[in-house]
Amino acid sequence: MSADAARIDRSRAAKPNGWWGMAVFVATEATLFGTLVGTYFYLEFTNPQWPPPGIPDPKVLAPLLLTAALVATSVPVQVAYSAARRDRVRLAQLALVVALVVQAVYLALQLHLFLDDLDTFSPNASAYASIYFTLVGAHHFHVVVGMLLEAWLVVRLVTGLTRYRLVGLQATAFYWHFVNVLAVVVLLTQISPAL
Amino acid sequence: MAVDVLTPGAEQRIERLHRVWRPRPGVLGWLTTVDHKRIGLLYFFTTLAFFGAGGIEALLMRTQLAGPDLNVVGPETYDQLMTMHGVTMIFFFIIPMTTGAFGNYLVPLMIGARDMAFPRLNALSYWIFLGSGIFIYVGLFMHRAPNCGWFCYTPLNRRAFDPGPNVDFYALGLIFNSIASTATALNFIVTIFKLRAPGMSLNRMPLFIFAMLAVSLSLIFALPSLTADLVYLELQRKGGFHFFDVAHGGDAFLWQHLFWLFGHPEVYIIVLPAFGIATSIIPTFSKRRMIAFPLVALAELLVAFIGFGVWAHHMFATGLPTITLVAFAAASMMVVIPSTIQVFAWTFTVVLGRPEFRAPLLFIGGFIVFFVLGGLSGIMFAAIPFDQATTDTYFVVAHFHFIIFGAAVFPILGGMYYWFPKVTGRLYHERAAQISFWLTFFGTALTFFPMHIVGLLGMTRRVYTYKPHLGWDAYNLSETIGSFILAAGLLLIFANLVWSRFRGAPSGPDPFRGGTLEWATSSPPPEYNFAVIPKVTSPYPNWDPADREDDARRLQAGTLVLEEGHETPAVTVRDGYLDEVLRMPAESPWPVVVGLGVALIFTMLLLSHFVLASVAAGLTLFALAGWHLQEPELE
Repeated sequence: MSADAARIDRSRAAKPNGWWGMAVFVATEATLFGTLVGTYFYLEFTNPQWPPPGIPDPKVLAPLLLTAALVATSVPVQVAYSAARRDRVRLAQLALVVALVVQAVYLALQLHLFLDDLDTFSPNASAYASIYFTLVGAHHFHVVVGMLLEAWLVVRLVTGLTRYRLVGLQATAFYWHFVNVLAVVVLLTQISPAL
Repeated sequence: MAVDVLTPGAEQRIERLHRVWRPRPGVLGWLTTVDHKRIGLLYFFTTLAFFGAGGIEALLMRTQLAGPDLNVVGPETYDQLMTMHGVTMIFFFIIPMTTGAFGNYLVPLMIGARDMAFPRLNALSYWIFLGSGIFIYVGLFMHRAPNCGWFCYTPLNRRAFDPGPNVDFYALGLIFNSIASTATALNFIVTIFKLRAPGMSLNRMPLFIFAMLAVSLSLIFALPSLTADLVYLELQRKGGFHFFDVAHGGDAFLWQHLFWLFGHPEVYIIVLPAFGIATSIIPTFSKRRMIAFPLVALAELLVAFIGFGVWAHHMFATGLPTITLVAFAAASMMVVIPSTIQVFAWTFTVVLGRPEFRAPLLFIGGFIVFFVLGGLSGIMFAAIPFDQATTDTYFVVAHFHFIIFGAAVFPILGGMYYWFPKVTGRLYHERAAQISFWLTFFGTALTFFPMHIVGLLGMTRRVYTYKPHLGWDAYNLSETIGSFILAAGLLLIFANLVWSRFRGAPSGPDPFRGGTLEWATSSPPPEYNFAVIPKVTSPYPNWDPADREDDARRLQAGTLVLEEGHETPAVTVRDGYLDEVLRMPAESPWPVVVGLGVALIFTMLLLSHFVLASVAAGLTLFALAGWHLQEPELE
C-alpha cells in the first residue's frame, strides 16, 4: 500500500484535490491577513503618532532572528514531502520532527516576547495595541495549527504511507510555506515603526 | 441513463453500484450522510424554514407600517425584526439556498461527478450552517436578537449603546455562519476544477457551473474582511480593544470599509447563482443554446471581479474625499457592462429560440424585468449627488428589493419548479404554477414599486412608524397589501410542490429535454448519480445523442463504471483529461460531531466563558482526529 501511494502520487498529472483544497484555504487566509495588515496601516495613517505616546517602539532584533529560524523550517518540511513521495517514510518523519523542534523553540520564544509585550502595554490601551496584538496573535495561532498538523502526520506515518496521508503531507507542506510567507509579512508590519 | 435494454453484464454492474453506494437507513443515515444530494435536500428544507421566518418578520413589519401611528409591534421589537429579516434573508436563506441547496444538488450532477470533492466537509458545512441559524434565532426567541440593522454601524454597535447580547448574537452568529459558507465555496471550487467528467474541459462547463465558480471565488475573497470586522467588534465588546473608537485612536470608517468590502461582493454572491439558474432554464425552454456563450461565461466572472472594486458606493454620504467617491462611482458604472451583456444574451436566446412559456421560464421573465428595473435604479445611485439625496430613504429599500427579491429570488422560485421533477421524479402542476407566478410578480411589484415614491417623498428606512398627512399613507398601505399578495403567491408555490410530490404525474428522467448532464440520469438520481461516468464533448452534453449512446455501450463494456467502491474520476484542471480514480469517503458520524463542537465553542464565547470555549475547542480537535482516522482507502 505504501509503495502504491507513492507511485500514484508520482503518476498524477494534476495536483491532487487535497492540495487544491489547501490552496483555496490559503487564498482565503491570505485575504484575512491582508485585511489585518491593511487595518494596521489604515489605523497608522489615521493616527498622528504611531505607536502612540507611552508605548515603546517594537523590538526588532529578536523577532527578526526568530522569523529567520521559522522560515528555515520550510526546508525540512519540503524534504519530508519529497521523501514520502519516494516512499522513504522514516526520513519523512525525521524531517518533520526536526521542523517541529525548531518551530516549538520559535513558538516558545515568541510567546515569551508576546507576554513581555503584554506586561509593557495592554491591548486595551489604544488602537495601535489592539491591532498589534491581534495581528501577532493571529500569526502565532497559525503556527500552532501548522505544528498540530505536522505532529498528527508524524504519528500517522508510523503505520505507513497511504494516498490520504501523502496528500495530507503535501497540503501541510504548502500550508507551512504560506505561514512562513505570512511570518515575513507580519514581521515587517510589526517592526515597521522602528525602521 | 437512456438505456432501453440492459445486458446481464450491465445489470450486474448497476446492482453492484447500488450495493456499494446504498445509504444507511433511517435518521442515522441522514445524520451521517455525505451524499451531496441528501445534503442539498437538508439545506433546502432548512433554508426554506428560514425563508418562512424571514417572511413572517417582513409581514409583521409591513403590518406595522400599513398605516400611520400603528402599534402592532413596539420600536425595540421592530428593530429586531428588521435586522433579523435582513440577516436571515441574506445569510440564512439566499446564500445557503443557492449554494447549499441548488449548488450542492446540481453541481456534481451537471459535471458528471458522483459527489463533491470533500464529501465530509460538505456535511460539516451543513451542520455548521444549521448550528449558526439556531444560534442566532435563539436570540430572537429570547427577545435579544440583533437590533442594529444588517450592517450594524459603529458606534451603535458598541457596548455603551447596545449593552445586551443582541450585537454579540449578530457578530458571533455571522462568524459561525461564514465558516460554513467558506467551506462550501472551497468545496465547489475544488469540485469544479477537479471532478468534472473526462472530456469536460473548462470551456465546456455549463454556465450554471461558471456562475457557481464565480460565487465561490467571491465568497473565498469576500468573507475574510467580514470575519475580521466581526472579530474586531467582539474583541472591542468583550475584550475592551479599540478598533472603531476614535477616542483611543480607532476609526469608525474602518468598520464601514471592511463591512462593504465584504458587503458589495456579497450582492453579486446573491445574484450570480440567479444568473446561473437563468442560463439553465432559458436554453431548455427556448430549445437552443445560449447565444454568446463565452461572453456570458466571461460576464459572470467579470461581475464577481468588479464587485470587489465598488464598495465605497455604499458610503457616498459619509464624507469621504470627493476623488474617492468619483473613482468608486466610475467603477460602479462599469458593472453595467457585464450585466447588460447578460441581459441581451438571455433575452435574445428566448427571441431567437422557440420559447415555451412554462412556469420556470415565466419566473425568468419576471427576473429579467426586475433585474433591469433594479439595475436602472442602481445606475442612479452611481451618480453621487442623487445617492446623497436619497441615501437611507425607502428609494434604497425599493432598489435592493427589486434586485434581491425580484432578481435573486425569482430564479430560485423558477428553479424550484424546473428541477422539481429531477429531485422527486414527479411533475409540478403547470396551471397552478403559472398562477403562482402572476401572484408573486404582481405582489412583488406592488410591494416594492411604491417604495421608490415614498422614498423620494422623504420616508427614511428603518423607521418603525410615521405620522399621518405626509402623503405616505396610501403608498404604505398598497405596499402592505402587495406583501400579502406576494406571500399568497409563495404559499401557492409551496402548496403546489407539496401536492405534486405526492400526486404529480411521473416525470421520467428528462421531462423538459434539458441540455445539461443532470437530465442524463434517472429522476430522482441514484446514490451514485451515473451508472457510467458520462462522455462530454460540448457544453450541452445531453443534446449530444451519440455521446449518450456511447455511455450505454460503455456501461455494457464496463468502461468507467467504477463499481468496485465509492469511486469517481479526477481530471486535469484545464483540459479535463482523466487523471486518476479517487476513492471517496463513505458515511461518517464525525461531521455532525465536529459541528456540535463548533456550536459549543460559539455558545461559550457568547456567554463569555472563555475557558469552557477552549475546552470545547479541544474536544473539537479530538473529533477532527477521529475524522482523519477514517481514511477512504482503508474502509
